[in-house]
Amino acid sequence: MMEAVLKVNDLCKTYVVNKRQNNVLKNVSFDIKDGEMVAVMGPSGSGKSTLLYTVSGMDKSTGGEVLFCGRDITKLGSKELSKLRLDEMGFIFQQMYMMKNLTILDNILLPAMESKKTKESRKEKTERGEALMRKLGIIEVSDNDINEVSGGQLQRACICRSMINKPKLLFADEPTGALNRAASNEVMDELVKLNKEGTAILMVTHDPRVAAKCDRVLYIVDGHIVGEYISSEGKDSDKETDEKERERKLNSWLMELGW
Amino acid sequence: MLFRILKRDLKRKKTMNVILFLFIVLAAMFVASGINNVVTVMNGTEYFFDKAGMGDYVIITMGEGAVGALDDMLQNESAVKSYRKECGVYGTIDNVKAKDGSVLKSNNTAFVFQSIDDLTINLFDDENEKITKIDKGHVIITGSFMKDNNLKEGDEIVIEICGVDLSLILDGTAKDALFGSDFMGNTRFLLNDEDIQVFLDNEEIYTHYTGEICYIDTDDVLAISRAESDASNIAFSGARSMLKMTYIMELIMAFIVLILSVCLIVVSMVVLKFTITFTISEEFREIGVMKAIGISNGRIRSLYITKYFMMALLGSVFGFFFSIPFGGLMLGMVSEKMVLGNENALFLNLIGALLVILVIILFAYNCTKKVKKATPVDAIRSGETDERYRKKSVLKLHKFPVGNSFFMALNDILSSPKRFLTIISVFTVFTLFVLMLVNTTNTMKSDKLISAFGVTKTDLYFVYTSGYMNLSDKEDMLETMNKFEEELSEAGMPAELCVDVQYNYPISFEGYDYMLACQQGVNTRASDYKYMEGSAPKNKNEIAITPQISEITGAKIGDTMTIHFGDTDLDCMVVAYYETMNILGEVVRLHEDAPVDFEFKSATLPYQIKFTDSPDEEVITERKERISEMYENSDVMTATEYCISCVAVADAVEGVQHGLLLVTIIVIILVTILMEKSFITSEKSEIAILKAMGFKDFTIIKWHVLRFFIVALIAVILAAALSTPMTDLCISPVFGMMGASEIDYNIKPLEIFLIYPGIVLAVTVFVSWLVSLGTRSIKSSDTADIE
Repeated sequence: MMEAVLKVNDLCKTYVVNKRQNNVLKNVSFDIKDGEMVAVMGPSGSGKSTLLYTVSGMDKSTGGEVLFCGRDITKLGSKELSKLRLDEMGFIFQQMYMMKNLTILDNILLPAMESKKTKESRKEKTERGEALMRKLGIIEVSDNDINEVSGGQLQRACICRSMINKPKLLFADEPTGALNRAASNEVMDELVKLNKEGTAILMVTHDPRVAAKCDRVLYIVDGHIVGEYISSEGKDSDKETDEKERERKLNSWLMELGW
Repeated sequence: MLFRILKRDLKRKKTMNVILFLFIVLAAMFVASGINNVVTVMNGTEYFFDKAGMGDYVIITMGEGAVGALDDMLQNESAVKSYRKECGVYGTIDNVKAKDGSVLKSNNTAFVFQSIDDLTINLFDDENEKITKIDKGHVIITGSFMKDNNLKEGDEIVIEICGVDLSLILDGTAKDALFGSDFMGNTRFLLNDEDIQVFLDNEEIYTHYTGEICYIDTDDVLAISRAESDASNIAFSGARSMLKMTYIMELIMAFIVLILSVCLIVVSMVVLKFTITFTISEEFREIGVMKAIGISNGRIRSLYITKYFMMALLGSVFGFFFSIPFGGLMLGMVSEKMVLGNENALFLNLIGALLVILVIILFAYNCTKKVKKATPVDAIRSGETDERYRKKSVLKLHKFPVGNSFFMALNDILSSPKRFLTIISVFTVFTLFVLMLVNTTNTMKSDKLISAFGVTKTDLYFVYTSGYMNLSDKEDMLETMNKFEEELSEAGMPAELCVDVQYNYPISFEGYDYMLACQQGVNTRASDYKYMEGSAPKNKNEIAITPQISEITGAKIGDTMTIHFGDTDLDCMVVAYYETMNILGEVVRLHEDAPVDFEFKSATLPYQIKFTDSPDEEVITERKERISEMYENSDVMTATEYCISCVAVADAVEGVQHGLLLVTIIVIILVTILMEKSFITSEKSEIAILKAMGFKDFTIIKWHVLRFFIVALIAVILAAALSTPMTDLCISPVFGMMGASEIDYNIKPLEIFLIYPGIVLAVTVFVSWLVSLGTRSIKSSDTADIE
């Protein structure tokens, strides 16, 4: 049986705006096993992104526990959380934020140079960064500025950056949200490949086609996980007909939940 | 709607707007007071001299036969349009004591005691009111005599000349156009007519200690200068233009304030440009949205211009009101010895403030031209259209083996050089300005200027006025010096004495006669002094002249001038040029063997003591104290102390230097806050993503602080490297106006390369660290909220 890389128990998150409490997450519980790819879906304002930021330690929870590799991150200080995010977690955002004054390769290398997780030399880290870029098909833009590449290339660079420190879990917030269909497919293909290689992924998405590529889909409404969809087909299947079948089944499940 | 956008802008960028507003207030304050001060100071000496009723030429006679010595010349010289004469009794510090008999001090060599009724020029009190009356038994003193001796109004002093003494109550100080400046080396005591008669009734005083001060109105100063060569007993003579130069230090201080004002104006404008440009580039998204919904360029530009106009208007109003006391404070520093006035002061302040508004509007108008380039696409791409794409990364992280923070800081600077050049240039200019003043103060407070004061460097300088007036000839002086040497030797301080004596000799050159100051050493050789060009006079027929004398007479090296040494006329060849700050450079240096006539003696410089047993500095300091005790009315100084006493304004310049350092620190603080705040605003997304990736707050703060550290380091290195050549370039002409342009500056490496740059660096790092703590409030989860 696979171990849970992330285990969330009764997670609560409350915002207080103008003295009014807004309970965004209400006793949310779920887990992600090693090598699993899970999507979180739900209507706008349901708490998807808040869930992602809270379980990744970017935001503080109000209650409950988040066990990352057995460690409750809600009890960690900011320095420990930073170290955890740097060494054990990877992040991909919809907006593809990068340092404006650095090249694509340097943006990818930045977390590696900051991390003391391994005793690799700068050269070895650079070689690893280039290998990742080669793998994701963007090695030709390594010396380009971030303004000189397409959105798809930039998001693949973000994936490289998120993977540079070999994280145990990769968090992705609408990773294809700002991309066209072709670029979106390219990015998802790369994420699936990484997942196949053993990296667990927790992803927030609006796109059923993207979610269909995941092992599980959590559906969140008003701060509650109201449904869980487990793909019956193995994600190893890459046949187009299988993909369409997965999408169809997921869509009908979503329809049942009021999507 | 536009007003609501403007209101939101002011609220959202509160800190930046407040700092910008502060800069506008400062700029308006400095421009307004600066313009007024410049106009006031530029006309200052002329205004003061006119108000005092100074003539175009002033001659002072003293000694036996001095009264009436000028009468022939005044009556027969056609160039004399009119003249006014005053009679005075001359003395030294030896003649003035405190009521309790204690010794008083003064750097001035000659004192003039005069009746208020005999005055032919106007003297003014602290309130700039003309002094018209002095009660019997009271006295008013010019210059800094009271301040130097901690005397207050109501204190009593005793004047004693040739056994005649008079106790007088101090009524205060007077602003005196002729003797007000320390450079003149004289102090005037104004007495009631009945009191001065007590002295004049004494025959010995009347015969030996009186003289005249004559103010001549003329259109031909050169003719008067030539005509005075026929007169005797001239102790001093000078044109109005030369007398105005005695206020050079007061003017220098005013010009320092002026340059500082200009620097602040430039900084304000640079910061303003940065802020406006930054604001516009940050607003591309909003500008794009405004354009997309059809708001015209003009309307959008007017939004920003209105904002800056409102800030400029408000800032200038504050600046205008602050400029009135500030300008007064600055002028107060200068006008302690002068009557300065400007009937259009408020108007000039207003013009300055309006000028700031105008410049800011023009600037805002120019900067908002960029609005035209913005398109609705900017709303989608946050201002990053293809047209503006340009290479940003300069360094390569993987090829640059340093920490991430340092790499990012350096890479940022190299990637946006224009932005950081703004900070570098501001920091460099202000640090350089401070360092130039540090060099100037250190030079003024060292013995580096000793040769510029026409004396050689010796162990001690000994001002002992007793008996000065009675030295009848050179033999008498040598005898006095021998006696000093013997007394010092008996006290276990074997020493040789030398002294420089100034004379006013008639000199003829190319058919014209001049009355020129000449300086000759006693017990020194002409070759002991420094020369700019040519070689030292080797025999009595050779002289050295200053560039000023060359300009007055037209004489050059190789020319022959005839000097009338009393009964002896001697043709002397000009063999060298040299520099001196004595009498603002208008001095001829004579060979030690040249004839001497004490009838023409005008001043004796301090006796110089050179110990023959080569004592170390500690022993010299101890001997200095002992000599002071041996000779009651003496002032014993080291070479450095003598220079400080001659420059007179070294402390004042040091005060300005400290003030400037303070202004520099304030400017650095304001610029750093403004820039760092704007960096944090523009880099919010990058900071958030770094945090999301796991970068600690410390790393991000270090990145921001290092950027400022690097630019401040570049600035202080530039400033320190430029400080010596720039001091030479900017300050030497000022010394040149006083007679010495070849200045060997006292550069203190510790101060120039460590202390002051260290202060600038420390302030920059501390302030940038303090402001960059604000990055802690940006959370990794803010990546979700960034537009």
